[in-house]
Amino acid sequence: MDQPRTDEDQQLVARTQSGEAAAFDQLVVKYTPRLYGLVYNMTSNHEDTNDLLQDVFSKAYKAIRGFRGKSSFYTWIHSIAVNMTLNFLKKRGRRYHLSLDDVDAGVQNDKEFLELTASSSPVREADLSELQKRLNEAMMKLSDEHRAVVTMFHIQGMPHAEISKILSVSEGTVRSRLFYANRQLQNYLDEFRKNPVA
Amino acid sequence: MDESNDNEIGKLLRLKRYEQPAPGYFENFLHEFHRRQRDELLREPLWKICLQRAQDFMFRLNVPALTSYPVAAAAVLVCAAIISLKIYQGPETTTNVAVQNRQTFTAPANVEGEWTLASPVATRVFTAQPIRKFNEIARTHRATTAPPRYVLDSVPVSYETAFRF
Repeated sequence: MDQPRTDEDQQLVARTQSGEAAAFDQLVVKYTPRLYGLVYNMTSNHEDTNDLLQDVFSKAYKAIRGFRGKSSFYTWIHSIAVNMTLNFLKKRGRRYHLSLDDVDAGVQNDKEFLELTASSSPVREADLSELQKRLNEAMMKLSDEHRAVVTMFHIQGMPHAEISKILSVSEGTVRSRLFYANRQLQNYLDEFRKNPVA
Repeated sequence: MDESNDNEIGKLLRLKRYEQPAPGYFENFLHEFHRRQRDELLREPLWKICLQRAQDFMFRLNVPALTSYPVAAAAVLVCAAIISLKIYQGPETTTNVAVQNRQTFTAPANVEGEWTLASPVATRVFTAQPIRKFNEIARTHRATTAPPRYVLDSVPVSYETAFRF
C-alpha cells in the first residue's frame, strides 16, 4: 500500500491551519478508507470502527494547529488512530462481538486468492465466510499490540520502519512482535488447516 | 515454522482487505463527521467556544511568531505605565466625593440626648433636620438673570441658510 504524497498533505494541513475547514475535509476523504481498514481489523466490529474513526478525525482536527510537521501527516494520523484504538480495546476488554463487513466480490478475482484456492491450503475447501470467520477469530486471539502490528504489516502493507514510527517503538520491537504474532497465528490456523470445514 | 508459512499467513490476511463496509459508507462519512462536529459544538459551553474562537484568531494573526522578549517587555512596561497612571489619578476624586457624602448624611449631635424614659412609650424623638432644604432642591445651576433659551429638536431656531453663495 503506497504512502500518499506528503507535499500534497502538507499543503492541505497548512490550509487547514490557516482556517480553511474544506482542506481538512479533503484529508478526511483521502484517509478514511485507509484508516477504516486499520481500525476495523483491530476491532473486528464495524460500529466500533465507525465511532472510533469519527473520534480520530475530530481529535485530529482539534490538534492540527499543534502539528509542526516533524513527521508526515500520514504517520501522525495513523498514530492517533492506533493509539485511540488501543485505548478503546483496553477499555472494552474481552467483552466484544464480531460485526464483520461483507467480503467484496472482487476477492474472487484476486491473484493471491486464486493461488490459495489452487494450492493445498484450507481455502480450497472452506467457503469465504468460514475463512473470514476463522481469520478474524485468530486475529482476536492476539494481544492488541500484536494485532496492531499484524494489521499494519500484513493487511495494510506498511514497512517495518513506518510501523515503528507510528507505534513509537524500535524496528526491532516491530519485527519481534511480528515474529511472535505469526507463530501464534500459525498455531491457531493449524487446526483450520487440518480440518477446514469443521 | 519457515518463511513459506509466514508468506501463506500473509496471503491469507491480505484477503481481509476485501472486507468492506456497505456501499456508500465512505461517501456519507464526511456528512456524518460534519453532523457530529455541529452536535459537539452545541454541547460545548459558551466560554469554551469563545476561547476557541480567540485562539483561532490569534493563530491566524500568528501572534507566537510576532512575539519576542523585547516586544513582550515593552508590552508589560506600557501596561504598567497605564495602571500606575490610573492609580495616581484615581484617589483624589474619590476622596472628594467621600467627604461630600459624609457631610450630607451627618446626623444632628443632640439626637442622643433626646432619649427619655419619662414618656410612657420609650421612643426616640426624631428631630433631625432634613438633609437638604426644598429650596435647594428646586434650585438649578442656571443663572436666573439669563433669558431662557429654547431648542426645538436639537436644531437652532434660525431661518438663515447655513451657506451663502
